[in-house]
Parts: sequence; C-alpha cells; structure tokens
Amino acid sequence: MSSAERRWFGGVERLREDFLSAAVMEHTEVVKPQSLQELIAVLHRIFSGDEVNVEEVQSIMESYESNPQEWMKYAKFDEFRYTRNLVDEGNGKFNLMVLCWGEGHGSSIHDHANSHCFMKMLQGQLKETLFEWPDSKSHGSMKPKSQRVLQENQCAYISDSIGLHRVENVSHTERAASLHLYSPPFQLCQTFDQRTGHKNTVKMTFWSKFGERTTFETTVSQENN
Amino acid sequence: MDVFQSLEQGDSVLDLSRLDLDSVDMDGVSEERRRETTRLYLASNRLAVLPDALCLFANLQVLDVSSNGLELICEDVTRLTKLKTLIAKNNRLDAQSLPKDFGCLQLEVLNLSGNRFEELPPQCLKLRRLRSLSVGGNRLRAIPAEIENLTSLELLYLGGNLISFIPPELANLPHLSYLGLCDNRIQSVPPQLTRLHSLRSLSLHNNLLTYLPREILSLVHLQELSLRGNPLVVRFVRDMTYDPPSLLELAGRSIKSRNLPYSPQDVPSHLVNYLDMASKCPNPKCAGVYFDSCVRHIKFVDFCGKYRLPLMHYLCSPECSSPCSSAPQSDVDSEDESSVPADRLQRVLLGPLTEAPE
Repeated sequence: MSSAERRWFGGVERLREDFLSAAVMEHTEVVKPQSLQELIAVLHRIFSGDEVNVEEVQSIMESYESNPQEWMKYAKFDEFRYTRNLVDEGNGKFNLMVLCWGEGHGSSIHDHANSHCFMKMLQGQLKETLFEWPDSKSHGSMKPKSQRVLQENQCAYISDSIGLHRVENVSHTERAASLHLYSPPFQLCQTFDQRTGHKNTVKMTFWSKFGERTTFETTVSQENN
Repeated sequence: MDVFQSLEQGDSVLDLSRLDLDSVDMDGVSEERRRETTRLYLASNRLAVLPDALCLFANLQVLDVSSNGLELICEDVTRLTKLKTLIAKNNRLDAQSLPKDFGCLQLEVLNLSGNRFEELPPQCLKLRRLRSLSVGGNRLRAIPAEIENLTSLELLYLGGNLISFIPPELANLPHLSYLGLCDNRIQSVPPQLTRLHSLRSLSLHNNLLTYLPREILSLVHLQELSLRGNPLVVRFVRDMTYDPPSLLELAGRSIKSRNLPYSPQDVPSHLVNYLDMASKCPNPKCAGVYFDSCVRHIKFVDFCGKYRLPLMHYLCSPECSSPCSSAPQSDVDSEDESSVPADRLQRVLLGPLTEAPE
C-alpha cells in the first residue's frame, strides 16, 4: 500500500482531511468535504501558499453540501438587517463567515477592497446584481449590468476587477444564509449610492464571532439601500 | 424569528416536519406527550386540514404549519390558550380561512406570509398581545386603519403586496421598531410616521416614491432605511409652470397675516370657513399662511447612510426660501437649488384643504 492509501484507509477524520488537502494541492480528483470542519481544514491548506486558484476554491466550496446542524451556531439572525458572523480567521489569510438575511434584507452596492470574494448559499436564495464601477465623470444613476439568483449550495465569485454587486434576499417568506470567504481579509470597503454613483467608505463589523454574539455600538446605518 | 432557535428550559418539541404526510394521526402520541409538548412542527407536509387532536395539546406555545396545502385554520386552534407563536406561511389561506374567535388567542408572533390574503382579517386586528406580524407575499391592497389596535406590535412585515397607501393610523403604534413595506405600490409616506419614535428599521425599497416627507428627519432612532428601486427625484425640477395664487387667496393671506378680525357678521359664512382653514407655513422663520396654493420645495439631505435624499418641504411662497430643517442631520444643498430663481420653483395647487398635499 502507498502512504496515501494507508492514510485513506486509516479512517480517522484528521487523516481524511490531510488526504483531501493533499489531493487538492496535487490537483488530483477532489473528494468533496463531508463537513464544514473538513471544508475549513481544506481551505487552510489551500490558502497556506501565496497563490489563489479561484476555480479550485469555488469548486471546493460548491461541493460542500450545506448541513444546517453544522453551521446553525453561527447563524444569528437579526430582524432589522442582515448579519455577518465570523466562523474562521484562516490564519490571517482569509475570513470565513456566515451571513444571515431576513425576508427583504439586502446590502448596498459595494466593492471588495481588492480581495477575492466567494459566496456560497447555505439556505434559501440570494439575488446578486452586478454593476460597473461608476467613472469619475458620471453623475448619473448606476445601471445594473446583470443579475442572477443563487440557489442552495451554489458558490459565486466576485472581485473588484469583475465589478461591484448588490446582494439581497428578495423572498418575503424565506430567510437565507450564505457562507462567505474573503481573501485577504478586509475591514473597510466602499458602498455606492445607485441613484448618484456617490461612494462612501464604511467599516464592516461582525454580529458574532465563532458563535458568540459581539456587541458593537452602531448609531448610523452603514448600508446604502 | 426562527422557531428552531432559542429553545427554552422545559421546552418539549414534537417535530413532524418534512415527512410528506397527508394527515397526522395523533392517537399514536400518548396523552402525557401531548400534555408536555410546547412546540409542534408540522411544516412541509401535505396537510389539507389541521389534525383533529390538535386542541389536545393543551400546553402548546409554538405551532408551525407552514408549507402545507391548508385552506382553513380550524376552530379548534382557538382552544390552544397558551399558544404564543403561529407560523402558517406558504399555504392557501385567505380572509375566510381564520376561525371567528381567532382574535381571542394570546398570540405574540403571527406569520401568514405567502398566502392569498387580499385584506387583513379583522380577527387579526384583535390580537392585543401581538408583537410580530408578517403578512408578506400576499395580495393585500390596503393596510386597515384598525392596525392601530395592535398596541403591542414591534415588527410589521408587509413586503410583496399591492399596498398603495400608508394609513396615518399606523403611526399610533408606540412600540413599532421594524416596518417592512418593500415591493408594494406606495407613492407617498404620511408625515405622521414621524411619531413612530421606536422605529429602527424602515424598508421601502421597490415602491413608487418620488420623495419623502421632511418629517422623516425626526426619526432619530432610525438606523436602516431602504429606498432602492423607487423613482426618487435626483435633481430639483426646474421647468415647472408658475400659477399665481387667486385673488381670493391673496386677500385671505392679507387678512390672516395682518390678524384682521372677521366674523359671520362681516363676511359670508363660506368665506369665514375658508379663512379658518388657513395653513401655517411650516418654515419656523415665516409667519405666513397659505390656502390652496403653496410651493413644493425639494431639499436634498443626507440621512441614515443615504446620500441626497429628496425631502419635500411646503412653503407659503417662493420668497419663503429659508431652509426648513427639523433635525440636526447634515444638509447637502444641491448646487441646482441655490441657482434656481425663486419664481421658477414649482407651485402646487392643493385639492380640498383637508387632504395631505401630494
């Protein structure tokens, strides 16, 4: 038996994760992560280097089958607006978080601070509307470029070179939850007023970290909706 | 509100959701179990009617019957005296579906989203303990004025209906903190909503609003305001026709502004009525009045994370140009406004004086 086979037949969760990560690194056929913990472990391995293979990350995130029992502790909904709940800090290489969207909740049009952004549906559906960057001369409204509705388990990708987007839960009956990965992590981004193209820098905050509610003083909305 | 979260001490859950059941035979559930059960989940089945033995769950607090084919909520439900939360989303319910005595329940949370309601059933408006009401994704054409009876209401979600008008009585809900009116046909927001002192989140996206009343600046606790997908005025409209006020109006203004006394002995009674209905100019620096003719003035204000919201002010005349701001929010004057000659600001003839200006 080769060492890879020995590890596979070992049957211990950690060894299985090693195999998965190794397979990914060697670009062999990817076996899908069987749990959120496995997904996180694989992501740690993938992001340990300096290069990010977007297709690979998207594929791995998409292949994880959402199991609410595994992420329920991070899914803290708020009645007033969507929430961001930190799951993992990725050894400083990425932030992984669960976003919880009540009925009708939506985000501003925003950029991603030169980082990669992966967004995977855990529950429900989210509408993503893409916008071009407003150019410095245009004072008019920003026209949507395209839009789509993301289905459960689907994983979308965006970066500043692709454009800007607004994400919203358009359902009046169902809540939605999504798993986001940002690499490198960032705390500031820009929000855009659709009517005027005017932009604003905002600081992003976490509703909870690692399953624990973190209180934060907010008096003014950071969203431009 | 998620029925699956925050189970309390002593909560006992009977989960029969997602089992593709056409019917539920509760005989298999022991009397003790029925007595103990506080939460009963029956969502995502194919129930056409609620199970007969439902009222035997005497201590039931939470009932979820969403995503079935229900056309009727049986009268038995009204015997669940401890029921606090009823979730009946995604069924086929309409105003005839609720039992007559539904209003007697002590409900705190009611979710009827995704049904076929064309109006809010009167029984719902009797639920004095109701804190959260969701009737999103239905066919509601109006919000009844009796909504003010729900004095405990904190959350009201009515997104995705056919509502074109917000009744000012909505402002009589002292604890309302979330108001969801997105995806409707609303053309204006009544200034009375300024009385909703507890309002923290107002969702108005995808409606037919062109401006907001300046009174919205008074909502000091408002943190979230969604307005996308409304035809909001971006620039002050310059080319409006100028309709001079009538001689009657000019005479009326002179009388009121000079405080000239008048009585039915001096003038015909219809003129007395007319003079009595003078409106004071909202500009606090102006002592003027107007009758039918006032100037509609849009001022752009940054508010609640939003840039240049068009807020409507009413002034007695184009010369009354001092800004009317009622809250210390940042004002961003458009360069357009300061350069528009006063005589070209829009004039609006009001209808009968008792109606709100459009």
